[in-house]
Amino acid sequence: MSNVMKESRRTTLTDDELLLGLADGSDSALQQLYRQYFPMVLHFVTSNSGSEDDAKDIYQEALIVVYEKVRAGSLELQCQLKTYLYSVGRRLWLKQLAQRGRYIVSDTEQSVRVDDDMTDHEERDRQFELMAESLDRLGEPCRTLLEDFYIRHLSMQAITDKFGYTNSDNAKTQKYKCLMRLKRLFFAEYKQ
Amino acid sequence: MGTNDEQEIENALRAYGDRVRLRQKLAAVQAAVDMDAMRQQADDLRSEPTPMRSWWTNYRTTLAVAASVAVVTTFTSIFVYRSYQNGHQQQQQQYSQLSKEIQAVKSSQRRILNDLDGRGRALNAAVASAQIAGTGFMLTADGYLVTSNHTVRDADSVYVQSQQGAVYKARVVYNDQPHDLAILQLCDDSAFRQASTAVPYGIDPRPSDLGERVFTLGYPRDEIVYGEGYLSSSTGYQGDSTAYQVAIGVNPGNSGGPLLNEKGNLIGIISGKQTTAEGVSFAVKTDYLLKTINSIPTDSLKGQPLRLNKKNTLTTLPRKQQIKRMMACVYQVSVFKHRQ
Repeated sequence: MSNVMKESRRTTLTDDELLLGLADGSDSALQQLYRQYFPMVLHFVTSNSGSEDDAKDIYQEALIVVYEKVRAGSLELQCQLKTYLYSVGRRLWLKQLAQRGRYIVSDTEQSVRVDDDMTDHEERDRQFELMAESLDRLGEPCRTLLEDFYIRHLSMQAITDKFGYTNSDNAKTQKYKCLMRLKRLFFAEYKQ
Repeated sequence: MGTNDEQEIENALRAYGDRVRLRQKLAAVQAAVDMDAMRQQADDLRSEPTPMRSWWTNYRTTLAVAASVAVVTTFTSIFVYRSYQNGHQQQQQQYSQLSKEIQAVKSSQRRILNDLDGRGRALNAAVASAQIAGTGFMLTADGYLVTSNHTVRDADSVYVQSQQGAVYKARVVYNDQPHDLAILQLCDDSAFRQASTAVPYGIDPRPSDLGERVFTLGYPRDEIVYGEGYLSSSTGYQGDSTAYQVAIGVNPGNSGGPLLNEKGNLIGIISGKQTTAEGVSFAVKTDYLLKTINSIPTDSLKGQPLRLNKKNTLTTLPRKQQIKRMMACVYQVSVFKHRQ
C-alpha cells in the first residue's frame, strides 16, 4: 500500500519539481527522471549505432548538465524538460559519434538548440578533469583530507581524529596548506 | 592569508565534489533501474514510427507552411473582399441621388380647393401616395420634360405637378441610364394644354467656366424652392467628365432640376451630391442632354418631334423675373412603384 502511494506521488512530480529534486539529489526525483525519460535516450542512442552502456553514460551526462545549470541558477527552460534532456543527450552523443567518425542518422524526437549550454558544460568539464588531475598530483594525505572535508563533508573534528592531529587547529592549518598546494597545481593549468 | 584565493579554489573543489557525488548517486539509481522495462519502453518507441508517422515527420514542415499559407490567403482574401465591399458601400453612400422618397406627401389644401373637379381630386390623391419625388422641367412647350433617370427608374406610373398645382400623367419616352437622364411626355394626358409661349430659357451646349454663377429651381418639398451657387469644377463625382461639380445647396427632391446661368441659359441638370462634403453637388452637362435627345428612337416620339427652343427670353431680365418665368416650366415629378 505504501509502495503504491509512493509510486503515485512520484508520477505527479512536475518538470519544476523534478528539477528541484535533481538539485537536491532527491532519490525519488532521480528515479522518476530515469523512469520517465531514460527510455527516450536509450531509444535514440541505440537507434544511432550506440550501445546500452553508451546510452547510460549519455543520460547520466545529460542529467549532470541539467544539474549544474540548475545549481548555477542559469537554467532557463524554453521547452519541456523532456525535450531539453533529449536535445542535450543528442548533442553529447553527436560529439561522441564525431569522435568515432560517425554521424547521427535519425532523430527520434524534436530538439531545441542547446549550443550555449553545451559551451558552458564543456568549460565545466575541463575544470572537472583538471581538478581530478590536480588532486591526483597532490598526493596523500592532502588529497584524502581535502576530499573528506569538501566532498564527503566530514567535520573538522572527524578529520582531526581520522588523521591523528593533536587538535582541530592543527588540522585546519594542514587543510589550508593542502588547499594552497592544490590551488597552485590547479590554476597553473587552468589559467592558461 | 588571501581569503579570496582560498574561496576560488574552494568553490572549484566543491563543484568538483558536487559532480562526483551526483555521479555516484546516478550510478546507484541507474543500477537499480529495471533495464528490461526500459528496453521494453525503448522498443515501444522504436515500433511507433508507422509509415503514417514517418510521413508526418518528413512532411510536417511542408504541411505547416502550406497550412499557414492557406490561412493567410484565406484571411487576406476575406479582408480584401471586405475592404472592397466597404469601399464600394462608402462610394455609394458618398454619392447621394437626389430623388426624394416619400411615405406620404400631403397635398396642400390650396391645390385641392383650386382644383375642385373629380379628376383633380383623384390625381391629387394619387400624388399624395407617391413613393419617389423629383423635379423635372419643360424642354418644349408641347409637353416634353426632362428629369433624372434615377427618379423614374422602374416606375409603374409617373405624374407631374405644376407650380400652380395642376397634375398630369406623364409617359416615360426614353431612359438614358449612363447620364442619369429621362425624357417624359405629357401629351398623352388630354387635360394637358400646350403652353401658349415657348420655354423661356436657352440651352448652352458649350462647357461653362468655373465660377459661373448658377441657380436652380426644384421641389425638395411641396413648394418650389430656389437655390443659387457657382460652378466649382468641370468634372463630377470621381472625375466624371459628363457632369459639373456645383457649389449649391440641394436636397433630395432637387434631382432633375434645371441648372441655369446668369443669362438664363441651361447648363446642366441636377443629379446628386456628395454626402461626405458640404456644398458639393453635381449636375449633368447639357451637352449630354442634347446627345440623349438625339438618341431617342423616332418610334418613341410617336410622330411628335422634339424641337428644342432656340430663343432665350431670360437674358436681359433681372433674377426675380427670370425665376418667375422659369417656375412655370418646372414640375414636381411623382413616381409610383409596386411595393414589393
